[in-house]
Amino acid sequence: MRFAALLIALASVPVVYGQTQPAAVLNRYCLTCHNDKLKTAGLVLNPADLNRVPETAETWEKVVRKLRAGAMPPAGAPKPDASAGNALRSYLETELDRSAASHPIPGKLPLLHRLTRTEYSNAIRDLLAIDALPKELDFSLLLPADNSSSGFDNLADLLFTSPSTMERYIDAAHKISRFVMGDPKMPVLVNVYKMDPEHPQDERVDGLPYGTRGGLAIRSDFPDDGTYLVKVDMAGAPREPHQLDILVDGARVGDSTVGTTLGSAQTGSGRGPGRGRALAPAPLEFRIPIAAGQHVLGVTFAEHSEAFDESTLRPRMRGRGTLPSIAEVDVLGPYDVKGPGESASRARIFVCADQTDDCARRILTTLVHRAYRRPAKDADLAELMPFYRDGKAKGSFDLGIEKALERLLVSPQFLYRIEHEPADLKTSAKPGATWRVSDLELASRLSFFLWSSIPDDRLLDLAEQNKLHEPAVLEQEVQRMLADARSEALVTNFAAQWLYLRDIESKQPDEILFPEFDQTLREAMRQETELFLNSVFRGNGSILDLISANYTFLNERLAQHYGIPGIRGSYFRRYTFPPDSPRGGLLGEGSFLTITSYSNRTSPVLRGKWVLQNLLASAPPPPPPNVPSLKTEGKEPGTTLTMREAMVAHRANPACAGCHARMDPIGFAMENFDADGKYRDRDSGNPIDVSGVLPDGRKFEGIAGLKKELLRNPDQFVSTAAENLLMYALGRNVQYYDEPSVRQIVRAAQQKQYAVRSLVEEVVRTPAFQMREAN
Amino acid sequence: MFITRKALPRRTFLRGMGAAVALPMLDAMAPALSAKTTAPPRLGFIYIANGVIQKNWNPAATGMGLELSPTLKPLANVRDSITVLSGLAHSQADTFGDGTGDHPRASAAWLTGVHAYDRTQPGAEVRLATTADQLAANYIGKTTRISSLELTVDFPTQGACDSGDCFYVNTVSWRNDTTPNPTENNPRVVFERLFGDGGDAAARQERTRETGSILDSVLHEVGRISNDLGPGDRTKLDEYLDSVREIEQRIKNPASQSTQTVDLIDRPVDIPESFDEYTKLMFDLQVLAFRADLTRVFSMILSRELSSRTFAFIGVPDQHHAVSHHRNDPDLIAKKAKIDFYQMQLMAYFLEKLQAAKDGDGTLLDHSLILCGSGMGDGNLHRHFDLPCVLAGRLNGTITSGRHMNYPDKTPMTNLLVSLLDKIGMPVDKLGDSTGRLTPDPLNLS
Repeated sequence: MRFAALLIALASVPVVYGQTQPAAVLNRYCLTCHNDKLKTAGLVLNPADLNRVPETAETWEKVVRKLRAGAMPPAGAPKPDASAGNALRSYLETELDRSAASHPIPGKLPLLHRLTRTEYSNAIRDLLAIDALPKELDFSLLLPADNSSSGFDNLADLLFTSPSTMERYIDAAHKISRFVMGDPKMPVLVNVYKMDPEHPQDERVDGLPYGTRGGLAIRSDFPDDGTYLVKVDMAGAPREPHQLDILVDGARVGDSTVGTTLGSAQTGSGRGPGRGRALAPAPLEFRIPIAAGQHVLGVTFAEHSEAFDESTLRPRMRGRGTLPSIAEVDVLGPYDVKGPGESASRARIFVCADQTDDCARRILTTLVHRAYRRPAKDADLAELMPFYRDGKAKGSFDLGIEKALERLLVSPQFLYRIEHEPADLKTSAKPGATWRVSDLELASRLSFFLWSSIPDDRLLDLAEQNKLHEPAVLEQEVQRMLADARSEALVTNFAAQWLYLRDIESKQPDEILFPEFDQTLREAMRQETELFLNSVFRGNGSILDLISANYTFLNERLAQHYGIPGIRGSYFRRYTFPPDSPRGGLLGEGSFLTITSYSNRTSPVLRGKWVLQNLLASAPPPPPPNVPSLKTEGKEPGTTLTMREAMVAHRANPACAGCHARMDPIGFAMENFDADGKYRDRDSGNPIDVSGVLPDGRKFEGIAGLKKELLRNPDQFVSTAAENLLMYALGRNVQYYDEPSVRQIVRAAQQKQYAVRSLVEEVVRTPAFQMREAN
Repeated sequence: MFITRKALPRRTFLRGMGAAVALPMLDAMAPALSAKTTAPPRLGFIYIANGVIQKNWNPAATGMGLELSPTLKPLANVRDSITVLSGLAHSQADTFGDGTGDHPRASAAWLTGVHAYDRTQPGAEVRLATTADQLAANYIGKTTRISSLELTVDFPTQGACDSGDCFYVNTVSWRNDTTPNPTENNPRVVFERLFGDGGDAAARQERTRETGSILDSVLHEVGRISNDLGPGDRTKLDEYLDSVREIEQRIKNPASQSTQTVDLIDRPVDIPESFDEYTKLMFDLQVLAFRADLTRVFSMILSRELSSRTFAFIGVPDQHHAVSHHRNDPDLIAKKAKIDFYQMQLMAYFLEKLQAAKDGDGTLLDHSLILCGSGMGDGNLHRHFDLPCVLAGRLNGTITSGRHMNYPDKTPMTNLLVSLLDKIGMPVDKLGDSTGRLTPDPLNLS
């Protein structure tokens, strides 16, 4: 309501150059630099353009962005008082938004939008009821990685296809169709599961029963009823007997005692729990009958009740632990195939069972409907049926379906989201013409946005009835889709990319400085953040919780790392921090703190830059190449500067000061967190100073002070979240003409305490999401 | 081509899993056995990132009787096949005041001589150029089963790369001005592309036939949907169509045209943990691809611009890109020089293998030309001149190797690429910012 009132008030002010307040502010505070003589930063502002804001929107959106971020006028230059500055910004925003409301610009997209590797794998999951392909068919082996730019890997113009990509699609279609059908002639799959040597195996593994220790739980689909060969490779030769168990869905199907009968092979005895691998005895082999479908295959040890837990006696070091452990498990099969069995995939594919050509048509019609995301046409069937007939002639009905499915999976109508231009455009090209996308196109836009996957039958039904675009239906569907488990993609795909959280996988803190950082800790950090984001995104939290939450999710390992007592066991649970805790919110989580550090030290600059770029959309430009070295030696010989002292010296260089004045204070506020996310009071033996001053002169203290500043005016942060969400939803970079939509999203979300759900709903409501523009 | 099997260290390979290991292509070799007098030319393009320490890289003296510089010392065993070129530049990699960073521009310009503009601006789009390796592949790679391989041993980047356009650093190979080729980093995938994943001869022939009918059918489908589409941006449909047609051509080629005996390694499982082992395995696969004549052109990113890889095993626990900005700190300079040196050790491993591989009347190295270099000269200052550039091999005797040639400052590197394409009989008038042929011609001077 506040905004609406403002809008009316401003709209009634006639704008005359030189007399109104916006023009006066512009003249006084902006034109000193941005005039046509100086052209500072290549930007020239013309006061006359204040009377034609819509025509010069691109320039004014830049001005609005700088004003919103408080980045202009720069430090040291005279600044307008808050009300005058806001008046200019409000005037511009009102003009820009009014123009956008009457003439929305949806922005251009290619007609074809290739599925990303993630979307492809989710589409296969939903189309064929398969979500745990074995290692050999891992999607990272089946398809090349997509390019990630501007933070996201789903931007339409960067999803390229080249002959080698196409080769991989053809190969993937072959392997997947053969697998889901349980083709008895399928070659034996060789699935190799290596255990990370930094993964301690002294405790029970998630997914395996109590009373077990170490090893691994392999959740995998099995293609046939048959026998599978499980080979187990030990990391070393145990000196005393240990019982190794093979479990299928928790039930023991094989066991063996290791450590007594292998005396001659014990060449590795005496090796400690290091990264190295002692000479191991020959792999143990088990032949296990397994039914088609999804199972959890466990390879683990029976817990030794008398074995004391050495990890409590000495500091945790990188390694497998002190007890015998598993280095690698290979699962080979199927052998002695009994048949394709009753897998979920076959249940989903076979909508009829009578093995007639008519039934084949029904099966393929259903598959086409889901895979092409529109009703099947005769022409589609005409393309698939020859493959069915060929397969059936060579083998069986099943082989016919398999061959037709293989053909379907390389269709451009499956691999690409294709949107059409209205018929009348084909005859008379009208650049800039806009139209609402069809309901079927909208269904795909929705499902790829919220699920990173194909629409389900209900969504397709509503689209086919032409109801989906109706606001009430659309809103209801968005609610339904957010409640569905598939919307976890908003966390694993959207949020993880926005916040660069995937980088935790490649982070390697220095082994000597951070000996406790191992694979288990890395996974715990990743899981903490995933659970946290899930709770914010899917528990209908506020987007502000990303900064301000007072809770997180911990297990024993991570709680120990954070210095929080009383949390036992490997499972994660919600934990509320005491009011004075420095933790809470993303900025106190190990994943973020590690991602934004170097391997051997913290980096206030990287942390500051991350906050500016990912939370405040005001990233500084890259540093000039030849920056002077960061000196860490103190004036007195033998002394060391704290990171802060070193940075202060570095910033004395005026070429560096401009950007560092913005990045560094943010980073310094987080200096109580080490490069592996541990809390610390001292740096290099010196006390840590976490006070900071923002470019506009505001002072703050430590992480709590920083969070308060970030939330003082949440628009900046929420706009950034909205821009990223919009970019991801559309699959293109956000441009100046999208900014009115971004502001609308923020305004509407504000009414709902910035609930994540409201942001998502508003993205769906934008013209860019529901419309297309002619190229 | 005849295949034998050879054992390699057990950690890297599938053990005793014969059922799934391919014995490739014996069936499809018949047409290749016809007598061949000259061996086909082979080209390789190997990218090293973040510049080099030039004082350690550039040989002191020019002319014949190449004296290897400290960084190039590892190439001693193949010295006679080496030509070092200095003074070349990529001016199109310089900033024109636009958004894309110096690093992405360096790898984008390397084989194109074209400036990588910032595509995130309104109205801008992806546009670069066909790279030299692809121009070559379109010509000398026409008759092989695989037109070219694009390999990398550096992990792709996440998020932002200077300007946000990571695709400029993740590949150095562009099929045309709008389509970069993806790079493959997994040796297992490379192996399967080359040699298949199992099955006997009859099964493979059947598979080729099936693929053929899938492609036929898909081409028909594209024609059908193309009519419905409307006049909008069809770039992506063209990419798809182009890819389908290319594969349709390829599968008609015999699987292998080599008459050599090839020792086939076991199928790799995954990426080895040791970077050294990993890179050597990728080079092994490339040598096999050349020997079996499955492809005649490849590119490889030995290090990617902006790479954050650490090299603790050679005494550099720091990140590559961070070290390259040495700010004249002697310690950091020494570390960057160590990385440069190590990369040349890896090169030497590859080149020595090519030298040891019999190929027709000589060795693979005799018939190849491997260009190793970068679009970045001084990585500390982001300079795109005085680029590192080493040629290895004699390309069927068309190259007088074993010397160092120094060119006038800022000679376009594209002039070298134009000269190179001449040598394989595929003359082009101009490539990016080229101003002519490289003179004196390093490839053919007596």
